[in-house]
Amino acid sequence: MESIGRILLVEDDPKDTELTMTALEEYNLSNEVVVATDGEEALDYLYYRGKFQRRSGENPAVMLLDLKLPKIDGLEVLQRVKADDNLKMIPVVVLTSSREERDMLSSYKLGVNAYVVKPVDFHEFVNAIKELGVFWAIINEAPPGSVRKK
Amino acid sequence: MTRANPFLLKMSPVVQRYALGVFSVAVALGIAVFLFHHGIRGIEFPVFLIAIALTVWYGGVGPAIVALVLATLAFNYYFTEPYHSLYVTWADIPYYAVFILFALLITWFAAVRRRVERKLLESRDELQREVAIRTQQSNLLNLTHDTIFVRDMNDIIIYWNRGAQELYGWSAEEAIGNRSRDLLKTVFASPTDDQVTRAQAIRSDVLRMGRWDGELRHTKADGTEVVVSSRWSLQRDERGNPVAILETNNDITERMRREDEIRGLNLQLQRRSSELEGTNKELEAFAYSVSHDLRAPLRHIIGYTELLQKHSSSATDDKGRRYMTTILESAKRMGTLIDDLLSFSRIGRAETRETMVSLNQLVKEVQSEVGQETEGRNLTWKVGALPDLYGDRSMLKLVLLNLVSNAIKFTRTRPSPEIEIGSSDQPSNGALVFVKDNGVGFDMKYVNKLFGVFQRLHRADEFEGTGIGLATVQRIVHRHGGRIWAEGQVGVGAAFYLALPRP
Repeated sequence: MESIGRILLVEDDPKDTELTMTALEEYNLSNEVVVATDGEEALDYLYYRGKFQRRSGENPAVMLLDLKLPKIDGLEVLQRVKADDNLKMIPVVVLTSSREERDMLSSYKLGVNAYVVKPVDFHEFVNAIKELGVFWAIINEAPPGSVRKK
Repeated sequence: MTRANPFLLKMSPVVQRYALGVFSVAVALGIAVFLFHHGIRGIEFPVFLIAIALTVWYGGVGPAIVALVLATLAFNYYFTEPYHSLYVTWADIPYYAVFILFALLITWFAAVRRRVERKLLESRDELQREVAIRTQQSNLLNLTHDTIFVRDMNDIIIYWNRGAQELYGWSAEEAIGNRSRDLLKTVFASPTDDQVTRAQAIRSDVLRMGRWDGELRHTKADGTEVVVSSRWSLQRDERGNPVAILETNNDITERMRREDEIRGLNLQLQRRSSELEGTNKELEAFAYSVSHDLRAPLRHIIGYTELLQKHSSSATDDKGRRYMTTILESAKRMGTLIDDLLSFSRIGRAETRETMVSLNQLVKEVQSEVGQETEGRNLTWKVGALPDLYGDRSMLKLVLLNLVSNAIKFTRTRPSPEIEIGSSDQPSNGALVFVKDNGVGFDMKYVNKLFGVFQRLHRADEFEGTGIGLATVQRIVHRHGGRIWAEGQVGVGAAFYLALPRP
């Protein structure tokens, strides 16, 4: 199944990925998700590099970004995206375990669109993911350059 | 001669002097007449001269003129021809001329003598005054506790005050005459130059600017070393040549020792605080990783258990479902514990943002936040006038929220629960705020455990909780420089008191 990649999920933990996908499935959004397992892969996807060299489509409608990532961490990915004129219109939602104020502050300083702490409770988690996915992928007007699902 | 005569003594000095003139001439006349009658001639003239000379010398010009006139008359009357007559012949004239010349000569001598005498007296008085001033100065120098000594340009000590004796242990007699740098073994505080170069540099400084100050090390008579703060001033004579150096020293050995001590303590403090900073950073990193890494597996446990519940609801029996519920409850409880622990550790690390806070306003906000919990309960609030305090608003709110939530929780079993929040001023310029309830209370035996982390006085199935709320409250109160304590009685209620400093 070719993913059209309207949602870029940057998450290194496969269990979190599975739970996120489960939540998105309920809204039939899971087939639109591309998973990058570290910061480098996320940037590869955005810049059509590495294994995403020949990917189709434009910029994702939304990026769900974990902060604690191997290689290049989430804050750095966020900074690079927001510094790139071509990418900075992509809405970025930080989805993290961290409740630390300094993470939140640095994320907002870098221009994040939303900061969501992953709830321990699965129901809350599902609700949070659903709302994010639905809001940013369907309801929100995608920025120019990203492909809309027909 | 005149002083011996008591009659003359009673007269005024002017009359005395004139009387002296008359008396001398009278005596001279007596002697001359006496000798003349006994055939001794040629003596009368010198006798009169002596009388005139005496008068001039001791009596001054006025009496001298009187004596001169009298002597001339007497001489003319008794000793020049014709005798017993005042007739003046040409032969008498040389006698009178000699009288007058002699008188003038003696007058001149007397004047010179008086002038010399006056000068002598003046300079004697001046000398006495000078001596008095010098003595006073020297006494003053001796009085001061400062160490003062003077050395000439060859470094020989020429003055040594009592302060110097007290500091160094040598008396003035022992010290004066010695070479200062040999006696005191002067060492200049100079990290780079050698002592000889340094001494020369200072000497040329003193000669150029007339003064120098700095620190020196000296060795006392008993062999111990002292550090002195030293001030030198150069003394010059009238022609501007340097003659001596006055050195004033203050013993700063003790001060230097204390300064060294303080420096040492400061270094220690710096090291400790950087250690502490390191520990704090580690702790922060620890809390951060707990926040990230400990919550993830819990989330997975809960997530997959719920997925399992959904997938196998038809295949599992009641027992299986109960197990899964228990897993979920435990995992959620652990999540709450982790979150509470994190927020507790955050209180210690977070910076406080202090503003004026109205406690009455905070109570209103807290009441509305707990509104859901208290809905449908017959709860009575008694809120008195509360002070405004200077502190971190969100932290102080957390304090009130914790105390109020506890009060609500522990009055749950009461038919008519009551929560009272009030305050009273403390004598020591602080505010005392209390939160009282009529709940289940606690045994004062365990009052010390109340504010400990994870300390609980009730079973989990009686009253829920993680045992971190009051620890958090205490930490916030301490960070605001306040105190917290509690009173309670089982079955009657509990009261929490906060003593907070006023701005």
